[in-house]
Formats: sequence, C-alpha cells, structure tokens
Amino acid sequence: MTDTFVRFTSRQRGEHLLVMTLFTMLAVTGFPQKFYASSWSHGMVTVFGGIERLRWVHRTAGILFALLTAWHIALVTLEVVRGKTRASLVPLKKDFTDAIVTLRYYLGLVDRQAAFDRFDYRQKFEYWGLLLGSMLMIVTGLILYLPLLAFRLFPGEFIPAAKVAHSNEGLMALLVVIIWHIYNAHLSPDVFPFDTSIFTGRISLHRMRHEHPLELERIAQPEPYAAIGRTDGQQGYPRLQAVMTLAAAPLLGALFVMFLPFVGVALVLKQGGAYCLALARRLLDRQTSS
Amino acid sequence: MRAARCLPSRPPVRRAGPVAFTATVAAMLATLVSPVFGQTSANDETDTCLTCHADDGLTVTFADGTSHPLKVDASMFAGSVHGANLKCTDCHAGFAEIPHAERQFTTLADFRASFREACKTCHFDNYTQSLDGVHYAILSKGNTKAPFCPDCHGSHAIQKPGIPRAAVSKTCAQCHRTLSETWAKSVHGKSLLEGHNQDTPVCTDCHRAHNIADPRSTAWLLDTPALCGKCHTNKALMDKYGLSSNVLQTYLADFHGMSASLAKNGRPPVHGRITALCIDCHGIHDIRRVDDPGSPVLKANLVKTCRKCHSGAPEAFPAAWLSHYEPSWQKAPLEYAVKLFYKVFIPFIISGLALQILLHLWRVVGHR
Repeated sequence: MTDTFVRFTSRQRGEHLLVMTLFTMLAVTGFPQKFYASSWSHGMVTVFGGIERLRWVHRTAGILFALLTAWHIALVTLEVVRGKTRASLVPLKKDFTDAIVTLRYYLGLVDRQAAFDRFDYRQKFEYWGLLLGSMLMIVTGLILYLPLLAFRLFPGEFIPAAKVAHSNEGLMALLVVIIWHIYNAHLSPDVFPFDTSIFTGRISLHRMRHEHPLELERIAQPEPYAAIGRTDGQQGYPRLQAVMTLAAAPLLGALFVMFLPFVGVALVLKQGGAYCLALARRLLDRQTSS
Repeated sequence: MRAARCLPSRPPVRRAGPVAFTATVAAMLATLVSPVFGQTSANDETDTCLTCHADDGLTVTFADGTSHPLKVDASMFAGSVHGANLKCTDCHAGFAEIPHAERQFTTLADFRASFREACKTCHFDNYTQSLDGVHYAILSKGNTKAPFCPDCHGSHAIQKPGIPRAAVSKTCAQCHRTLSETWAKSVHGKSLLEGHNQDTPVCTDCHRAHNIADPRSTAWLLDTPALCGKCHTNKALMDKYGLSSNVLQTYLADFHGMSASLAKNGRPPVHGRITALCIDCHGIHDIRRVDDPGSPVLKANLVKTCRKCHSGAPEAFPAAWLSHYEPSWQKAPLEYAVKLFYKVFIPFIISGLALQILLHLWRVVGHR
C-alpha cells in the first residue's frame, strides 16, 4: 500500500489556487471601499493609483470570480447528473451528529473523536459557507456594478440593501478565512505548519487514518458501485437520488452553515453553566461543613 | 513704451518751505515726546499731507494720458480702522519727502501695483494666505485686473471686514455680479438679505477670504462635502431650522460619499467628476429649500437630477436613494433588516468558530 493517497484532482487544485488569488484581490480592493474613512484605506487607494483603478481591479476580479463560481457549479451539476460523483460534500445527518460528538470530545465528555468520511463537517461547513456566500456576493456585486440594470429586475430598495449585504458578507467571509481557514490549514496542531494537500493533491496514510478513517476503509475494500443502488451493472451512482441531493444541497448547506456555530455556542454555554453550578455547589458545601 | 514722469498736473501752490519746516519741527518734537504722546506724530503727519491732498483739484497724470484725483477725504480716513494708529507714510512708503520724488508710472494700475505689498508689513498672515489664492494665481499669470488687498477692503476708508455680513457679497459682486445675484435668490442669500439671519453663509464662508481656492479644481470639489458639513453637521445650528445634522454622515456612508472620500488619493479621476457631491444634487449658488417646488432634490424633480449622471434612469430610480435617512423599519425596512441580520450573524458565526478553535486547542494541546 502506498504512503500517500490522491485527495484532490488537478482541476480542484487549480480551482483552489484561483479562488485564493481572486479572494485576496477582492479583499484588498474591497475593504478600502468599506472602510473609506481610515487612513490605510486611503493608502491602499494611492497604491492602486486612484479609486477608479482600484474599482477596475475589484470589478475585474469580481467578474472572474463569478465565472469561476459558475464554472464550478456547472461542472459539479454535470458530474452529479451523469452519476460520476459521490457528492461527498453534501451535508448528511451524520454531519450534524459528528459536530455534536466532536464538541463533546473537545469538552472531554467522550473519549473518541467522531470517524469522518472524505470530508468532515468542518470542511463541509467551509465549502458551503464559501459557495453560498459567493453567490450572495456575486448577485449583490452585480447590482452595485449595474444599478440601472438591477433596477429593471428588482425594486429600488434592493440597491442600497445590496450595498449593506455586500459589505457585511465580505467582512464575514474575510473573518472566516482569517480565523477559521488559516487555523485549519496552518495553525492547527494537526497540520502545523502547513496542510499541503490542496496544493500537492496528496494526503498521507497517517492523516487518512486519523482524519478520514471511513474513506480509508472504503478505499481499502472498494465496494462495487452497484452496492449503493444501481442494479443494471453500469458504473455510476443512482441518478435520480443524486439529482435530488444536488437540488436540496444549497438548502442543506445553508442550514448547516447556520447550525454549526449554534451548536458550538450552545454546547459551551451548557458545559460552562454546568461547571459554574458544580463550582458553586462545592463552595457551598465547604462553607456548610466548616 | 517710454514711461513718462509722474508728477502733479499743476504746480502745487503750498508746497513751499514754511509748511515743510513746521512739519519737520513737529516731527522732531513728536520724537522727543513720543513715549507719552505717541499718537501726535501720526496726526501731525496726516495734517501735513492734507495741506495738499485735501485739494479737490490735485490730480496726477500718467504716461498713458489718464489722470487721477489725489484728494483724500480726511474724515473718511480718520473714521477707518487705521485712522487712529497709522500715518500716511506707513503705507505710502517713500512719500515722506516733500516735495515727492519724481516717479515713472504708465498707468493707474501700475501705480496701484506699487502698493501691492504695503499691507504685508502688518498683515503678514493674510498677505501670505492670499499668495495661495486664486486671485494671486491669475495675477501671476499676468492678469493685471486681478484684485489685491484694497480692491476688496478699500484703501483710506477701510472698515472691519464682514460688518454687516451682507457687505461681503456686495464686495465680491463688484466683479462676480451674476454669481452674487444667483446667491441672493438662494435659500442662503434670501435668509441673510431678507431675513437678516446672521447664521447664513456669505461668499467668504465657503470660498475663504484670502487663500481662495480655484473652485474648478478637483481638490476643492472633493472637499465640498466637508465644507457644507461645517454648518450642516452642527446639531445646535441645524435644530434651529428643523434640519437634520446627519446629512453628511449619511452621504459619506452612501456609495457617492464613499467614492468622494477615496477619490482624494492617487490620480485625479479621468472623467472629471468621479461621483455626485452635495453641489451636484443641491446646486451651488442657487441652493433652494428641499421643499421648494423648484428644488432639484424635490421628489418630483429628483429623477431629472439623477439623470445628470445616470442617463436613462427610469422614473422610479430615486427609490434606490434613501434621501439622507438612516435605514429604519419605517424608512427602508429591507436595508434595515439586512443590517440587523449581519449585526447578529457576524458576531455569532465568528464567536462560534473561535470557540471551536479554542476548544480544539484546549483538548489537543492541554488535555489529550
């Protein structure tokens, strides 16, 4: 058995590189516009040679980003319709329970981490957060870029509302990338200093065992495709099921994105509350005994 | 051109010895007693000058053939701000000697130009500021009609400037008549001229008095929101008239205002004005009340104003603009809802993720 496994195809690695570049460019040219009053914004505008050029870069990067997103959605849709993919990023019931198990594990309530498949719930959260956020950014960005055209399609109030949404969603995306993505890709003790798999496309056996045991198991004992639904002997996944999954995916993704932090906050509050109660009880006991 | 001699056009009658002698003696006495009677010398010198310059018939002829009266109204000078503490030669340097030395000037303008720096000695700050002004800029390009100190302030009859305030627009109107008339019909002009309201701006409040900027320059244009904001963000002042003091803040938060803030950096915008400034919608010298039927920002007229830049904007296009209102449930509920959503959602998501990171570290690093 080899030491490493192929985790990402060259297309997926290319997509990541493009998203990374365009996201950085959009952030660098977008935030000076959001924080128009601060001095670093003015410095950044000067670096670009004026607000007009800065906007030109922002809009060009935005259009490229929109094309990339459209291309990604089209390709994935095609793959799902043709039954060529497991659609392994679609949130399942297991992800919701995994999230809870993981948090209980972090809090020391259980001894074993949940066993993950190809993508764990955190990776799915990030994928759906990025995809849904991108779609919102693209739509609101186009409204701001072409207000007259937007006016034909939406009521007038959409234009100022789009500005608020674009600016806030952009801020959230940046914070998620800086805090969550940089942690998981660089700073987390599991991967420190650098999770290279999205660039090399490969992942080590050691990490597969720890982070994706279910996928490793499946690769070690490949189940025939027929085992998950097909009976006609043709290679592929069940088509109807896949299409329905895809149609439901954005909704599931949105639910998932909103669910995850909620679980985190709720569990910590619950655990913290229990800890405080226990502490108070201990203090009371000590007082009554003395 | 050969410059002619500049001399009084007829032989002065009383310029002979006794007067000059008296003046000299008086001046000497004045020097002796000046610690106690410092003002005497000014008055005495003025008297000396007026021996000739009170004469209606005293004129000077320049090389171009034009002549100019040299009479000075003594009471006018005495009543001016300088009347009590300046003597003639403080400004007319080089004229202490009697009879005056011969001088060569082609025109009256040439003669006046020789006094261009006379005020500098005392009013150095204002003089230096005027060097940054648009009037000095056209002067240095060779336009001799460009005004300098006495054209606005007067010469012998100088009074404290801006009293009454309406006098300022009259001063500027000497050259800028049309603009002054337009301003007089505006909400600001009417309020001052008809309502005698001293809160309203006159020319110099916006354009400044000495370092007047070229109002066509991009830097000046991009500064106009801050300029209007000087009064229109003053809550006490705006409350007096039932006006919002939030207009600048809401403008800056809008796409137009944000662009104007950032356009100050880097290259000046290629296409002239980059964005709508206060003056593009409200007008400049012709600003009207927002509820005036002729106001360009009145709802009925607004789309026409938008079309100045957004050509082909549909009738309902102004609905995209919140009219300087802060979004609220009553005004712009959609925008308000989006704002509120993110106010909750961003801290929620970020704190949730940060919590997971901290918990992960706690477990993996400290409590494996």
